[in-house]
Amino acid sequence: MNRIDTLPPEIELAQLLQRCAAQDSAAFRTLYDKTSPIIFARLLRLLRRRSVAEEALQDVYVRIWQRAAQYELGRGRALAWMVTIARYCAIDLMRRERMTLVSDDSLAEIADESAVEDGGLEKPNNFEHCIGLLNDNTRQCLTLAFVEGRSHDEIARLTTNPLGSVKSWIRRGLLALKECLSAERQPT
Amino acid sequence: MKSANRELLDRLAAEYVLGTLRYRARRRFERWLLSPQVGALVKAWEERLAGLEPQLAPVAPPAAVWHGIEEKLELRRMQRRPAARWLAIAASLAFFVMAGVLLTWQPGVVPVPTLERTAESSLQTDPQTIYWHVQVLGDNQELDLHVQNVHDLPPGKSHELWALPEGGAPVSLGLLPHTGDHHRVLNAAQRAALAGSKQIAVSLEREGGSPTGTPTEVLFAAPLSRA
Repeated sequence: MNRIDTLPPEIELAQLLQRCAAQDSAAFRTLYDKTSPIIFARLLRLLRRRSVAEEALQDVYVRIWQRAAQYELGRGRALAWMVTIARYCAIDLMRRERMTLVSDDSLAEIADESAVEDGGLEKPNNFEHCIGLLNDNTRQCLTLAFVEGRSHDEIARLTTNPLGSVKSWIRRGLLALKECLSAERQPT
Repeated sequence: MKSANRELLDRLAAEYVLGTLRYRARRRFERWLLSPQVGALVKAWEERLAGLEPQLAPVAPPAAVWHGIEEKLELRRMQRRPAARWLAIAASLAFFVMAGVLLTWQPGVVPVPTLERTAESSLQTDPQTIYWHVQVLGDNQELDLHVQNVHDLPPGKSHELWALPEGGAPVSLGLLPHTGDHHRVLNAAQRAALAGSKQIAVSLEREGGSPTGTPTEVLFAAPLSRA
């Protein structure tokens, strides 16, 4: 397995995306080389099956190439923009196919969250504080949905909680998170 | 926007970003992304929930993935294109030199200046399905349409391009081609609508265009990037 311990500099990725918007295929190849291991890991985490994740990775980079002109320099981070495209692509696929998420044996291998030592995707200010204020059930539901792409039904099944409770925890959790993060942004 | 609607939209935006909307609800919600207000709600939730992104160990994909991307986007053909492009440029130059010589022989005939590109947009749904690149020339006077990849149009149907002026009704910019490069001169109403638009949209219509003058089924919209 090829590992990179630091993320590529954001400014470099943003410039590569700009060149992709100008149909520079060499820049696209460089962008792919620098980011595909990160995007692939995220897709594996969501889709759990290597063959499906490989197919999805192709679609993600086709979308990135075609939408590069929509990336706005200076608004949002380039890697976060690409990861969001990957998440939506995987979620679309899972919801459309109503995929039964049976993992490969490699799931343990890909679930390693310890390897990125430097940087990582930027979190909103005080995110850790705000997420820490949520109760365990709510935090678990939000994480299963966002990180693993689980549906309400799957979360209810996995956590052995009633579907209604899961929906309610998610709804209230999102609201609480929004309020906490907004409050933290207010000037004191 | 009424406060109750705004709350509902905000809740849907949150669950759209979180990923818990069912497939049909997700597709329906994506149509509302045409609205700048809904787009802003989604963007705000993307920023809020970014903190949940896990930091995973990178995993190198197999080489076959890149080859598949190259094939889908026909990148190899693109790499060969510059030579052909230079030939085309050389041929165009030769034509304009000849045209220039001819024009100088006719007093009173002034060559039409080439309009500069002032805005552009990429319109797409799924990468395999539809993709146009639209360039606006001059003061919203003309359009250059480049078809990248269009398949799967139902029989008897057309794609139509729309300007979405802020605070006004959509205005048709004509049908979209399915092959090749096209040039289009806009009329005064189209120019005015385009001047007030931050987005353009594509709709699915019966063959020949919208029967009502308004979009029948909006498929997607894209921002117009002004130069």
